[in-house]
Amino acid sequence: MFNLIRHCFFLSLLLACMMAHATVYKTIDQVKSSAFPDATKFIPSDISLSDAQAKAIEKQSGVRVRNKQQKVWLAMSQDKKIGWLIIDEVIGKHEFITYSTALNADGSVKLLEVMDYRETHGGQIRDPDWLKQFIGKVFGAKLKLDEDITNISGATLSCKHIADGVKRLLSTYDIVLKNQG
Amino acid sequence: MFTSRNFSKLFVGTIFSSVLSISPLVSNADENNWGYVYGADTLPKGSSELYLWATDRRHKEHGKYNAQDYQLELEHGFTDKLQGSIYLLGSSHSIQGSAPLDTNGNPEYPDNSRSGITGAKAALKWNLLSTYKDPIGLSLYIEPGYNNRSKISGEKQDEYSLETKLILQKNFLDDTLLWATNLTLEAERRKFEGAGNGWEDELEIEVTSGLSYRFAPNWSAGTELRYHSEYPNWRKEFNREHYAIFLGPNIHWGAEKYWATLTYMANIVGAPQAEDDIRHLAEHERREIRLKVGYNF
Repeated sequence: MFNLIRHCFFLSLLLACMMAHATVYKTIDQVKSSAFPDATKFIPSDISLSDAQAKAIEKQSGVRVRNKQQKVWLAMSQDKKIGWLIIDEVIGKHEFITYSTALNADGSVKLLEVMDYRETHGGQIRDPDWLKQFIGKVFGAKLKLDEDITNISGATLSCKHIADGVKRLLSTYDIVLKNQG
Repeated sequence: MFTSRNFSKLFVGTIFSSVLSISPLVSNADENNWGYVYGADTLPKGSSELYLWATDRRHKEHGKYNAQDYQLELEHGFTDKLQGSIYLLGSSHSIQGSAPLDTNGNPEYPDNSRSGITGAKAALKWNLLSTYKDPIGLSLYIEPGYNNRSKISGEKQDEYSLETKLILQKNFLDDTLLWATNLTLEAERRKFEGAGNGWEDELEIEVTSGLSYRFAPNWSAGTELRYHSEYPNWRKEFNREHYAIFLGPNIHWGAEKYWATLTYMANIVGAPQAEDDIRHLAEHERREIRLKVGYNF
């Protein structure tokens, strides 16, 4: 029986792994052009947070900084700074959820897009209507489920982590990006 | 001849084939992080899950004992907070000289080698507090069932049971570290074949607790602790007849459509104890292994 269980377990894992594939809904180029259609240039501005900065972001946002490296571009239209594009990852039920956050030059959220989502339930978080509620949020916004962010049943963990992720990014803007560019 | 070994292979093989054949060829996932401990989450409204449970129990104080319990479960979310399940039960026994001896030196049950479908259960799980939004997740669970074979001896019986659970869950470290604890009360009423009107009542009290840490995308590992106790004729006298404590590791893999969990539980201590042993082995085994495989649709 043990051999049977063992064989079935590994067979199921093997089959599942063989059938697994990454579902990428949006590429970096696509989110760049949808967030900043008027941009003429994207300047790579990746952030490597210092321990002090990470600690300050955690204190300010109340959200853990799991990765001190942040993929960022400064969007320019001719010589004018028009905003920031940040690619971030948050924990989903099984895998990371990759999403992009575009910030206006004043630090308010311009657009949020889910680039990669591979969870069982809650694909509705990719719905532009759900993502729209983040637009205009600025540093200091509550970003709490059932308060200023509506929840999606069956995807509460994903909704909570995206809301927390945006809160962390707004703190990152306030502490690191605000005075750059 | 339908032996218990053949039945095990047939049952597991059939279920695996069915699960795989109805699945689309896309990437997969859902969650049951523990083999024995229940989490507080419920399925969202309109979604369903098909599970196979297979538990292998082996080794008594003496002789040869191996038994397998199977459950095929279909679960459905009626609302976002209420889910229902139906279960088909099966079991196999292969017993040779492992029954405990009564005061006259006779085995308490005969040797047995059998397998088959044994019963059915239904369950409702109601989520009262969300693990993700409230300070602690809380769910209530109720499960009436019928089983026509004794779990220990494999003898024919009629057994009606009503299991109730209080399920608590708390997550830490961005929901990568999960802790859950269940308090289970199960009332059973059974009559062995040929026992006339001799119905027996029994109450089982069980506390299970588990940790599960997601150490890599799709993969979690943890540990489970189970305290099990039984109170025969509990309506008349509330005395604990025996208890057993199990402890062991588990590993869980989950993706978009499929998940699987494997738990090893070692019987570590109990009473009344077997001779020269600190464990209770009359109604439990030295170890259990449980595999659960789920498919979401």
